[in-house]
Amino acid sequence: MNKVFTDGLSFALPLLIIAVGALYSEKSGVTNLAAEGFQGVGAFFGALAATLLAPVMGNGNQAIIYIAILCAAIGGALFSLIHGLLCIRFRANQVISGVVINILAVALTAFFTSAANTAISGSASNKFVLDVSTRFTVPLLNSIPWIGGIFTDMYPFEIIIAVLVVFLWYLLNRTRFGMRLRACGENPQAVDAAGANVNRIRWIAVMISGALCGIGGICFAYSMIGNFSPSIYQGFGYLAIAAMIFGNWKIGPTTLACLIFGLAKSGGLQLCIAAKLPSNYMDLFLMLPYILTLLLLVFFSKKNHPPKAVGEPFDKSKR
Amino acid sequence: MFLSRRLTGKYASLWVSLLAILMTLAAASILLLTMGKNPLVAFRSFLQGCGMIPKENYGGGSGMLTDLLDFLNYLAPLILASLAFITAFKAGLFNIGIAGQMLLAGFTATVLIGYNKGLSAVVAKPLVLLIGLAVGGMTGALIGWLKYRFNIHEVVSTIMLNYIISYLTGFFINNNYVDMMTRNSKVCSPDSRLTLTNVMIGDLKCKIPLGLIIAILIALLVSFLFRKTVLGFEIKAVGQNRKCSEYTGIRVNRTILLSMGFSGAIAGLAGVAYYLGYTNTIIPKTLPGMGYDSISVALLGSGAPIGSIFAAIVVSIFQQGANYMSSTVGVAKEIASLITGILLLFASCGNYMKYKAARKIQLAADLRGTEGKEAKAS
Amino acid sequence: MGDYIVEMRHITKRFPGIIANDDVSLEIRKGEVYALLGENGAGKSTLMSILFGTYEPDAGEILVRGQKVHFHSSTDAAACGIGMVHQHFKLVEPFTIAENIVLGVEPEEKKLGILPWVNMKKANRQISELSREYGLEVNPTDRIGEVPVSVRQRVEILKMLYRGAEIMIFDEPTAVLTPQEIEFLLQIIDNLRRDGKTIILITHKIAEIKRIADRCAILRQGKLIDVRDVADASAQELADLMVGRQVSFTQEKTAPKYGEPVLEVQHLTVKNEHKFDVVKDVSFTVRSGEIFAIAGVSGNGQGEIADAIAGLAKIADGRVILNGKEINDFSVRERCLGGISYIPEDRQETGTIPDMTLQENLSLREYFREPFSRKGILKPDPFRDYAEKLIGKYDIRCAQGPDTVLRSMSGGNQQKAIVGREIEEGSRLIIFVQPTRGLDIGAIENIHRQILEERERGAAILLISLELDEIMNLADTIGVLYRGEILKIDSADRMTTQEVGRYMMGVKEA
Repeated sequence: MNKVFTDGLSFALPLLIIAVGALYSEKSGVTNLAAEGFQGVGAFFGALAATLLAPVMGNGNQAIIYIAILCAAIGGALFSLIHGLLCIRFRANQVISGVVINILAVALTAFFTSAANTAISGSASNKFVLDVSTRFTVPLLNSIPWIGGIFTDMYPFEIIIAVLVVFLWYLLNRTRFGMRLRACGENPQAVDAAGANVNRIRWIAVMISGALCGIGGICFAYSMIGNFSPSIYQGFGYLAIAAMIFGNWKIGPTTLACLIFGLAKSGGLQLCIAAKLPSNYMDLFLMLPYILTLLLLVFFSKKNHPPKAVGEPFDKSKR
Repeated sequence: MFLSRRLTGKYASLWVSLLAILMTLAAASILLLTMGKNPLVAFRSFLQGCGMIPKENYGGGSGMLTDLLDFLNYLAPLILASLAFITAFKAGLFNIGIAGQMLLAGFTATVLIGYNKGLSAVVAKPLVLLIGLAVGGMTGALIGWLKYRFNIHEVVSTIMLNYIISYLTGFFINNNYVDMMTRNSKVCSPDSRLTLTNVMIGDLKCKIPLGLIIAILIALLVSFLFRKTVLGFEIKAVGQNRKCSEYTGIRVNRTILLSMGFSGAIAGLAGVAYYLGYTNTIIPKTLPGMGYDSISVALLGSGAPIGSIFAAIVVSIFQQGANYMSSTVGVAKEIASLITGILLLFASCGNYMKYKAARKIQLAADLRGTEGKEAKAS
Repeated sequence: MGDYIVEMRHITKRFPGIIANDDVSLEIRKGEVYALLGENGAGKSTLMSILFGTYEPDAGEILVRGQKVHFHSSTDAAACGIGMVHQHFKLVEPFTIAENIVLGVEPEEKKLGILPWVNMKKANRQISELSREYGLEVNPTDRIGEVPVSVRQRVEILKMLYRGAEIMIFDEPTAVLTPQEIEFLLQIIDNLRRDGKTIILITHKIAEIKRIADRCAILRQGKLIDVRDVADASAQELADLMVGRQVSFTQEKTAPKYGEPVLEVQHLTVKNEHKFDVVKDVSFTVRSGEIFAIAGVSGNGQGEIADAIAGLAKIADGRVILNGKEINDFSVRERCLGGISYIPEDRQETGTIPDMTLQENLSLREYFREPFSRKGILKPDPFRDYAEKLIGKYDIRCAQGPDTVLRSMSGGNQQKAIVGREIEEGSRLIIFVQPTRGLDIGAIENIHRQILEERERGAAILLISLELDEIMNLADTIGVLYRGEILKIDSADRMTTQEVGRYMMGVKEA
């Protein structure tokens, strides 16, 4: 039972930071279906940094992980500039842009991983192998029955993400920047009339989105896969978007949705192990998050509303 | 100015596509140059890999014709997949689930017909097509139904289905249909396969892709649907302005269902053309990359059925020629996907290019207008 | 010279394909109410947007209090004490009234010295005080999405006052108000003037100008025509200057010739997505040859009544009977074929497909039957012929004839196309919702004439409009709608404008 919470949390938290990333972009009025691509590219940059630093700083040096997370954020933000360019400057269809970004991300990361590995070690591998991240356990708290699992075997990035999300909530709902960002997604004309620069706010929102998704990506790489490879693209970006939809574009409910996803995934896995089914059957349980998403979408899509002005490029001359 | 006029004229979409291709070739050239490779040699080897330009030498039983036929073998499902995307796109829907629909259709056809040794080719092949249509059509209709009944965004629902299908079929393959040696599914029977293999033409061992005929037929059908039929008109109306379509009396829900159904059905055809044509086995838990390349093709072809045939040829050249290019020039073959991705990026800027061109022409007209006025005044 | 608070000299502004302001110069005195009169497209809003800092002029200069100024954004203008109440409110629905007012000038403080934080409690207090001071009662913590239109306008005014505006621009402020609310607003403007504020009023309503303005500048097609003292100019003079020719205010209506009832609405109830009754137990009848007008402030359920009759909104209760047959379960198309034409409120959004050609748009009611198509296959020639017929008959200006893409046509011509298409069907029932909104006088005259012609022909006409003048002008029978219920139905000659206005406010029998 404990394991369900442990594994569930280590899946839910990176998912959450990606969802919040998508949320920031959408709240500012830019549709973000590119979360999948952002997290992949961010993970690429993080893993690249880790691979480059490992021989220099020593294998197993945990500090590398933190640097990787930073690089992932920067990489994700840089890549998101393309989405910003297409949506804000070129006023392209934002759904298409998201799909384009995702396809481009897969191609770019595959190619450059191969190229980088060739340059570094001579072998054209499509993987960056990552060190195992140490985990820690909070004493006392981990003895609480049932939910003690939350505090067992935690990855350090889980704390980082949790703190970050609290800060992001505060930024969005209590500061001047957040208020204007939310207004841009509902009625950009009002923001423009109030004298603020709508497009600049949207650019910043998209870049934040890229950075956050990148962080989520590298955390997934560390916790779920153990390396960076094409298998970073497992549709988690889309799961995050679904979580955002259930959360009705609010950070609190989105957190709940991510936790549900995480627990469903780890719960299903534990069930499979407990039932002692052959390993093939694991695949069936891996389907659980996706089926759950579809079911929840059935119930929530009609009632939940995105920000009013999302998906439309800002047109100054419209009255 | 020349460019601006072309981009606002009657064949604007064609020029946008050409421009996108040229810009991609330029970007690819820069990339190749930074890696110390000669772009011209690289492009030439792409074409050689596809049987459009002769290679230096060929192995036994193969020649330019076999390469060309291999190329056409890849082209057929790609054309179908992009037609599937276009059919949904006209209704304003994004069918990102083409990959999943292809996989499900291919899997079902393989299991039901491909493993059925008793069926002769004359019976098996049409059945395969029918299953493709049916399975794909039902999946597409499901997505359409989810959209209009529950307002579920089809990008998210199709991706979810993609993964569900991937895991589900992977499970069944690994459990029941796996080939121990290759770890893939057991191969389908030659009778059910849509591509005829080992056909001797001269002393060359050739593949004849029957799927290509289907692809061209469907392209003509889709083109006819949208240019000349009432249903096509209604689908376009729904895609362009749903509110007005409702006001006009079009049954929007039925139209969405039909267009997604058609889209899925065509994707199903692409699936059987791929898994029982281009190849004859299924890799478990892997979605065909072609399902996403089809989006690039559709956008490059400006969403036009006939245009997508040419766009598919361009993209296929990169994908099919990549292996040969990789071995001659020494660049990772992933560059093909990268080039396709860049192509997609430039193609999606098409609207912006047209808009800038229109602005330029308008400004020039305004300038001439004021000059005229000043001339009159003085 | 000395007491001009705002001077705009030789302002020119071009947009692609059009000169919005052509060498316009005006001077506004401190403390006066200065009206800008002109038709839609005359350039009044553009000119004031330049003054408010939203646009920058291509040529010319602006002086405020004698100093030359360059505004790059509305913040610059606000710093000079200029504020604007827009015609289309710039409000954020999920935000509270206070949040909307302070957007852009939020009172930000630092918690613990480093964390920035918007002090909404302080803002709420400030706004309560402000609203009491100027008699614009609002509750700062209400959400904008939940307050009525007149309150929203108060919020827009408070936005200006919060920023200390001395020069206040009102863009078509009375378009969305009932007569009584208009009276209230004019009173507020009077108060502001007495407080020393300078008011610029953009409008095309001459009656209001006569009521409250000191001077009036008339704009036409981007140029300044004249500036008059309102006291010395008659309404007719102002109207003629605005349009450039003699204008008649009223249409000539022939005596009514009513026939059989065409439309009977019985106890109609329509619910919105929150299960709230937006239309409650509404009943009325429209006879052939009769114009039945529904008067009411925007948002009281008018649109939903029209949609329910046309089949675009679900009928929760009650019956709609057309030519004696109940049509509750008829599809939209069945209703069209049964004899309903509908000119919708959102013309471009609902009535046209902007990226299709003119001929395709004109055939939207016909494409599915002979001769336009047979057995599901379209025949191109009938489309072209029909389009050419309508282009000639309804004077639709289009650069490439039937192949013109609709989006490239002007708003007025798009409207002509929609009206033409619907009228050409010769339906027994024609529904007009806000048919003249945003049109210039010439186009308005045209539409009114067409409505009266259809009435002559014997069509039953349901006219839904926010313009009380239009209703009083055209209607045979008037029904007043308030919060989804019809409070009064009576023949037009028996009701006065004031009476109608009272019912629109929800005041039942006097």
